[in-house]
Amino acid sequence: MKLKTFCTEHESFILGTGFIVILLALWESVPLWYTLPKGMALFFTTPSKVAAAFQQLLINGEIEKHFYVSAIAFLAGLGLSIVVGLPLGLLMGRSQTLEALLDPYVTSFNASPRIVWLPLMILWFGIGIWSKIVIVFAGAVFPLLINTYAGVKNVNRVLVNVVRSFGANEWQLMKVVVLPNSLPYIIAGLRLAIGRAILGVVVGEFFGSSQGLGYMIASAATNYKVDVVFVGVAIFMALSVILTLAVKQLESRLASWRPETAKTF
Amino acid sequence: MRRPLAKMPPFIRANDITLVFKSKNRDPVTALNNLSFEIERGEFVSIVGPSGCGKSTFLNMLLGLVRPDSGHMQMNGTPIKGPGQERAMVFQEFGLLPWRTVTANVELGLELKGVAAAQRTQRAMELIKLVGLNGFERHYPHELSGGMKQRVGLARALATEPEVLLMDEPFAALDAQTRDLMQAELLQIWERTKKTVLFVTHSIEEAAYLSDRVIVMTARPGRTKQIIDINLPRPRDYEMRLTPEFNEIKSRIWEVLKEELIPGSRR
Repeated sequence: MKLKTFCTEHESFILGTGFIVILLALWESVPLWYTLPKGMALFFTTPSKVAAAFQQLLINGEIEKHFYVSAIAFLAGLGLSIVVGLPLGLLMGRSQTLEALLDPYVTSFNASPRIVWLPLMILWFGIGIWSKIVIVFAGAVFPLLINTYAGVKNVNRVLVNVVRSFGANEWQLMKVVVLPNSLPYIIAGLRLAIGRAILGVVVGEFFGSSQGLGYMIASAATNYKVDVVFVGVAIFMALSVILTLAVKQLESRLASWRPETAKTF
Repeated sequence: MRRPLAKMPPFIRANDITLVFKSKNRDPVTALNNLSFEIERGEFVSIVGPSGCGKSTFLNMLLGLVRPDSGHMQMNGTPIKGPGQERAMVFQEFGLLPWRTVTANVELGLELKGVAAAQRTQRAMELIKLVGLNGFERHYPHELSGGMKQRVGLARALATEPEVLLMDEPFAALDAQTRDLMQAELLQIWERTKKTVLFVTHSIEEAAYLSDRVIVMTARPGRTKQIIDINLPRPRDYEMRLTPEFNEIKSRIWEVLKEELIPGSRR
């Protein structure tokens, strides 16, 4: 009985992990029931080999070194995009002058792939951390800015009038209505920005770096170390899941006032 | 010494107010045309008129959110140029901040004015008690019924101690019974606090029941068509609404308003 209630309570978790375990087991068993041709076997690996490679890289400190480099670029670039994108989005939403001034740049930069800037960034900033930070920033800042701007534009007019009727200045209006009202948009923008930032780190390290997890994947691939490639891929997948969960956590904390959705039949 | 009443300037005066809405691709629409009236301190005045005659817009002007194209508005002899502490509005759709608790919503005006936290919470508690919301201090708006939400709206407007309460169809979104209850409580609060009230409504019954005077406006462009005195004794209660005198006043308002509602009957 107790087991049954446990199962219903954690249904989605059990199904999710269970399916992953089954897939991993299937993958692991491939060499047991099928002999790969020699040429393909070189590029094939199994979860146990990936785990062994992971352990090896952990012991010799490779992962720590690359992870650290990537994390710095990610955090610095994302942090910078929050510091710039959020206030700029708020201001652009409130001021028609700023909107007219900046809108052409925002639209054209956002619509073009950021990678086209990478060669220039490498020329200007070298293959160190700075070119990566700039690329991460360029990827993450626009979803944040554009979502914040959209949130401000969709602010509830009645609430703005309420707050203005009490003699609020523009700054108070921002703090009391505009920002809280735009939060769902900003969080959605943050989620997009995190994805773009990870992409920026990887792409930056593929082409313009001698360190970092992206570099580790790229150089392992050139040396046919497929298990190391998978270690890198798995780390990025795990990080994406963790960061998404963190944003959801942040969202539910900020929106604790929201009504719970009613259960339907 | 008090000066004789006749020599005092009116408490609120609107003089020749005109407002034209201009929008792209469309002809300008005259919303208000030479609207004028005066209100004395402590009066309860209702404005009725056909939909779209500019009643709510006019209330927003008195609040200081909309500027007229021409004409003058003054209160206490000072021109109205923007929002001010002496005026507060109770909004039709409540206008509560959904992410704030009842207490924090009531505190809003005081907070924006920079009143210290302890002081404003104390003031909020008094008002929550006044409107009968004890026990709901920490609830969020979505947890309240329509009537309770508007009690919060009323408490918030009263919190900053305005001299004038502007009410924009405050009970329009409520069911009939809640509405009757809220009207009765508004009258009690009005009698206790001695505020001047300017009340916009669609309901003739509501206007007649609550007011000292009812301003009937014309269809767009809005002007004052007629001002009707309601000489019914106070305090008023629900039973008064069943008397012939009350019905006689209602039909008088209706006769005036009818001409504006039915196209063609207006000369």
